[in-house]
Amino acid sequence: MFQYTGYILAGVGGTVAITVAAFAIGALLGVPLAVASRSGHRLVRWPAISVIEVLRSVPNLVWLFLVFFGLPEVGIRLGPWATAILTLGVTSSAYLAEIYRGGFSGLGQGQWLASKALGLTTWDRGRHVLAPQLARVVSPTMATYAISLLKESALASTIGVVELTFRGGLVSQRTGDGLTTFVVVGVVYLLLSLPLAYTSRRVDSRLRAKFSVG
Amino acid sequence: MGPDRRAGAAFLEASGVTMRFGDHVAVRDVTLSLARGEVVSIIGPSGAGKSTFLRCVNLLEIPEQGSLRVGDTSLTVRPGAKPREKDIQPLRRKLGMVFQNFNLFPHLTVLRNVSLAQERVLGRSRAEAEARSMSLLDRVGLAGKAGAYPGRCSGGQQQRVAIARALALDPAVMLFDEPTSALDPEVGAEVLAVMKELAGEGMTMLVVTHEMAFARDVSDRIVVMVDGAVVEAGEPRQVMSDPSHPRTRSFLSAVLGR
Repeated sequence: MFQYTGYILAGVGGTVAITVAAFAIGALLGVPLAVASRSGHRLVRWPAISVIEVLRSVPNLVWLFLVFFGLPEVGIRLGPWATAILTLGVTSSAYLAEIYRGGFSGLGQGQWLASKALGLTTWDRGRHVLAPQLARVVSPTMATYAISLLKESALASTIGVVELTFRGGLVSQRTGDGLTTFVVVGVVYLLLSLPLAYTSRRVDSRLRAKFSVG
Repeated sequence: MGPDRRAGAAFLEASGVTMRFGDHVAVRDVTLSLARGEVVSIIGPSGAGKSTFLRCVNLLEIPEQGSLRVGDTSLTVRPGAKPREKDIQPLRRKLGMVFQNFNLFPHLTVLRNVSLAQERVLGRSRAEAEARSMSLLDRVGLAGKAGAYPGRCSGGQQQRVAIARALALDPAVMLFDEPTSALDPEVGAEVLAVMKELAGEGMTMLVVTHEMAFARDVSDRIVVMVDGAVVEAGEPRQVMSDPSHPRTRSFLSAVLGR
């Protein structure tokens, strides 16, 4: 048995923490970004679209280096964990905003008209009519994004966050057995993604059996 | 008792309503009023602005200008001044609307569809709202479908749920926007039967429709719209059998096949 498996597995917590925290930040920040990017006012819409495009066009690795190595020069110093979570969280907001936007356009205009005609306030329309249908439409795409974010979290190892990949690197240097080490690391990522993919499919088909949207 | 409660006085009044989409004038200075309990059908060729006018009445479309009044609630829209949501709400609350495509909320059961706005808009408790919903669903013959999602209901059933959903808010006037156009004739008949019953109970109704039989038999008055304007209005039999406007004649001969 590979004796360092336990040491590598201890990195699961870190990887999961970065993924979950960055995803949560992205999912939250993505909402105002998506709403703003569909605003009727150009002065709201254009900045939002620009932010989304800039965030998505620069590789995450470059954003990480920019925050970790660049910001200290202007006096902003974040630790490796904070850098990884905040940076991946903010870039995720752009990807998730685009996913939300796609969901919006999938919903019929009739839903909006009907809820207006019933006298629901803008908040209630969002909360009780739009959001639940949107969640239904975008949840499979969001799950796919969560899986890719789980893999992106490995980038954090480059700025010294001791997560799965970082631990794999240490072990392979110590043992010289890169093959076994990274097969183990790879299998751990696989085991983390599979339940996510499986749960997403289950939830999706269960909801689909009840109702479809759009 | 406000002055509008006098017999024959207008209960719903729309005057000088004009709506433009770009250069196209969709609704041209339309003035229309309904007495309490009156049923008025708006007929006319496609693209005549009937549905747009109806949406102006509850401000789903904000007209360029026009005045609207239901009972003692009124709103005047002047060119260049968009009314605010909170000024629109009181008028909208008095109007129930039924759409061509039902527009039920697909993620909610039939019961929740009918109850949601009662709770959020009228502040009824869940139990109170659902009890009211059940009695309305029973009335449209769908109490058995309360737990079903709209996707599991036929078009005619969905439209009857939509009627119950609008009635649940106790509107003063019901607006119907081609309620049977998306339905097969036999299914449409179930919906028309509910509407007829409603009319019989004294509900004030403004109906955009292609159902000539409904317009003739159920409404008190018919209004004919062509190219965004009202060209003729009168008692159903008079408009149907002896239309005075040439556009009404050509429209009726096309739809009635004579």
